[in-house]
Amino acid sequence: MEPIVTVSGLWKIFGKKVDAARELAADGAGREQIQAETGCLVAVRDVTFDVHAGETFVVMGLSGSGKSTLVRCVSRLIEPTFGHMEVCGTILADASDTALRELRRSKMAMVFQHFGLFPHRRVVDNVAYGLEVQGVARDERHERAREVLSTVGLDGWADHYPQQLSGGMQQRVGLARALAVEPEVLFFDEPFSALDPLIRRDMQDELVTLQLELQRTIVFITHDFAEALRLADRIAIMRDGAFTQVGTPLEILTQPADDYVRAFTQDAPIAKVLPACSLMRPVGDVAVEEGWPRTTETATLESALPFLLSEHRPVVVCNAEGDPLGLLHQDDVAAVLEQNLR
Amino acid sequence: MSQTVAAEPGAGADAPAARRRSPFAVGLAAAAVALVIVGFVASVGAFPESWNFGLADPIDRTRRWLINNQTSHWLYTVLLNPLTDLADAGIRRLEAILRWFPWYVYPVFCGLGLWRVRGRLAGALGFCGVVLIGMTDLWQQGFATLALMGVAVFLSLLAGIPLGIAAWRNDRFAGVLRPTLDAMQTMPGFVYLIPFVLLFGIGRVPALIATVIFALPPVVRLTDVGLRNVPGSMVEASEMFGATDRQTLRLVRIPAARPAILAGTNQTTMLAMSMVVIAAFIGSGGLGQDVLRAMRDIDVGEASEAGIAIVIMAIILDRFTRGIATLGERGRGQGTAAHAGDSLRAADTVTIRWIAAATALVALVGGIVSHNKFPEWLQWHYAPYINDITAWARDNLYDIGSSGIGTGPLSDFITVYMVTPLRELLSSGIPWPAMIGLGVLGGLLARGVTLGLGIGIALFLIGWLGMWELSMDTLAQTLVAVAVTLAIAVPLGIQASHSDRFQKLIDPVLDFLQTIPSFVLLVPVITLFHVGRIPGIIASVVYALPAAVHYTDLGLRRVPAEVHEAATSFGATRWQRLRRVELPLAAPELMVAVNQVIMLVLAMVVIAGLVGGGGLGLETVNALRRSDAVGRGFEAGIAIVLLAGILDRLTRGVADRLRPPPAA
Repeated sequence: MEPIVTVSGLWKIFGKKVDAARELAADGAGREQIQAETGCLVAVRDVTFDVHAGETFVVMGLSGSGKSTLVRCVSRLIEPTFGHMEVCGTILADASDTALRELRRSKMAMVFQHFGLFPHRRVVDNVAYGLEVQGVARDERHERAREVLSTVGLDGWADHYPQQLSGGMQQRVGLARALAVEPEVLFFDEPFSALDPLIRRDMQDELVTLQLELQRTIVFITHDFAEALRLADRIAIMRDGAFTQVGTPLEILTQPADDYVRAFTQDAPIAKVLPACSLMRPVGDVAVEEGWPRTTETATLESALPFLLSEHRPVVVCNAEGDPLGLLHQDDVAAVLEQNLR
Repeated sequence: MSQTVAAEPGAGADAPAARRRSPFAVGLAAAAVALVIVGFVASVGAFPESWNFGLADPIDRTRRWLINNQTSHWLYTVLLNPLTDLADAGIRRLEAILRWFPWYVYPVFCGLGLWRVRGRLAGALGFCGVVLIGMTDLWQQGFATLALMGVAVFLSLLAGIPLGIAAWRNDRFAGVLRPTLDAMQTMPGFVYLIPFVLLFGIGRVPALIATVIFALPPVVRLTDVGLRNVPGSMVEASEMFGATDRQTLRLVRIPAARPAILAGTNQTTMLAMSMVVIAAFIGSGGLGQDVLRAMRDIDVGEASEAGIAIVIMAIILDRFTRGIATLGERGRGQGTAAHAGDSLRAADTVTIRWIAAATALVALVGGIVSHNKFPEWLQWHYAPYINDITAWARDNLYDIGSSGIGTGPLSDFITVYMVTPLRELLSSGIPWPAMIGLGVLGGLLARGVTLGLGIGIALFLIGWLGMWELSMDTLAQTLVAVAVTLAIAVPLGIQASHSDRFQKLIDPVLDFLQTIPSFVLLVPVITLFHVGRIPGIIASVVYALPAAVHYTDLGLRRVPAEVHEAATSFGATRWQRLRRVELPLAAPELMVAVNQVIMLVLAMVVIAGLVGGGGLGLETVNALRRSDAVGRGFEAGIAIVLLAGILDRLTRGVADRLRPPPAA
């Protein structure tokens, strides 16, 4: 499968002596040491990754780890210091302003942490902004904006101003604004961190549901490990500007690369966040029997636990139509939970 | 995260202390002390008149040359005269349009408009106010003022908004522009008139140009600030959708900065209003001219009618421009009361359409049948009553029952015990070299070498221009007025900061006082205090009071509630809390208040030259009245600018000193 987003050897160094700072960093010097010696701040340190079509790639890190800088470099909202980035076949480093603008108009969109909505524009005009910038006629862009608003559940709010909406609704507007331009790649920069926990959960569920339908390529930034587990196809754990581990949620949980990653996994309510499908094995030759317990692919592991504890049969993970996708085995689940408890 | 750039260790930490120790500063301080000692030992008194640099003569010569060449020289035939004609035609055109409408459009429009932006009472008052202007037969003059102002505001915005955008776009340009705007705002409006009189003679065009320049700073500044304060997240979002810079500016930045730009427009309008009135001195015509003429004749009644018409116009313009600025905000609403907000908007749109349609209909019908003169049968003058009151006040309030209480003894007291001794101390008591030495020391202590040196040079220049004694006279009046203002304003501000109810009570009064153009304030004051130095000082106090109360209140309110509670929890009395916690914490803000008061007072003291205030003001007034005095007036104008600059920098330096060090 062709990667949609390719990033290799990406560096972002704030300061003047960037070459010296990169050499020090390559020799394994820490952030403080580099800052003391060169006055530079290494925000992103030699990051390499690919994101495939339809994949949700989550970058998880604490504040100051460089994740926001990373996503801004990948979208070239800020200029990276070194490195190669490619989005939908366009090499960003060489892209002229016009080419970059064209790419942004047609291929990518971003949802921001503090929504980045325009308070002077009605909700519908916010959502239609990307289309307006592209030169789409008023009626057409409004029609499209209203359609997208109804997909995110904001029917009837089109003529309000963003400030009149709750935080969760505002971020739905932010999401609708990004979806309205039908981008191939969606960047999410901690979109739910400003929301309170219950709303945040709703929004996560909604995003999962939407993604099942839309199958976009997503680069998602978060500081919330549970959120990463819930949404990700693959997770990158970021620390001090570098990726410490990249893997599926299951890999991260079962084979944490170091103590830093392990510290996160220990606090994660695994059964509540991991989807059942993340631990399933292919059905293969096994003949699925009628009476076996079943669960759906979006359900969490927790929903399968009662069956797994009471019966010695695998649980069948089905898609929305009821077709079996895979089997959930007791041993696998037990191994993950055991790792988590250690 | 991109903002987490490391703070340079040691940067900004106690730089002033380091500067104070530089050999340069020590040398300058020693020289200043030497000047003070020498001055007193030699007891030289005021700046020697024989040293006069004599700028007046060359200026007068230039003036004569300009007058002689007004019809022949290319500077006039090619550049200035066409410009004059164009500007004059613009004003005339606007005036003709304003006059075309039937008279009743104005009260109806103002009434409905104010009802819409400020409520029913404001609407009713607006309606009555406009009718009152017509009743006192000031309709035509009102149009003249309005037309001049309209053109001036239009030109200020036309130049100011692009300048603001340029300043936002280009930091280097902003670096040049901002100090220029600062300097422009420290100059009393009056002074602006002199160079344009020199160049254009008297008339509406120099008045227009002076007004445009005087009114320019707020809209430039607030456009710049507004654009700079547009949240980065909004700009980033716009860029992320592939907007070009121009699209981001047009669709996001300017609309987001709209409230700031409109606030700037409001301030610019008010400055233009006050300047157009003052510009009556150079023949701008209109209502200002009526006030001026009546004041020269000491006809308080006539002056009041014109003055009140000006105040009515000023208030209506202020409320309108402010109303427009807040209109959009109200419609958008805050929080989640979405449906309420929506119905409000819908109602707004309906009333706006309704008002527009009604006004248009009335205007059209009335215009066609040319009802454009205010009907004579509605005329009614109240000037005689005002004159009666004035006469009564003079007879009865000047010295109430010969008891030594009244406005007369009060003004005598201020003159004898405050102004005269201070003036004598400044102009002859302290020898001029000592005065310069003290100025240098003040500058050194307040900011550093540059300011000390600057003050020294500025003071010397004042002497060199032959303006030493007049400047000291003006300085003495300014200092007395500042002291009186602060003595009244600070307690009021403290009270306002402690009691919301008191604040609500005085707010409208202060708001009203602040809307009155400076020149008009002199009218009621001369009713009570005759002419001389005192009415100028009293008018200055009234003029500067609102700003002083406002800044004191603001400064004290900024003291965080936790600090209050902490002080109280240690058992501090209210007085202890005020003296040991609130006032020190609010000190920088209070110093800003002092700065504002000084600037406002100085502007007023200069205008008070008209009513016998003497000092530099009288020279400038003379320059505008008699063409042979332009040279002297020019010198006085420069002295005023220098004085304003010294006082402004000094107080701002002190304010900065008082600010707590920035967080590490």
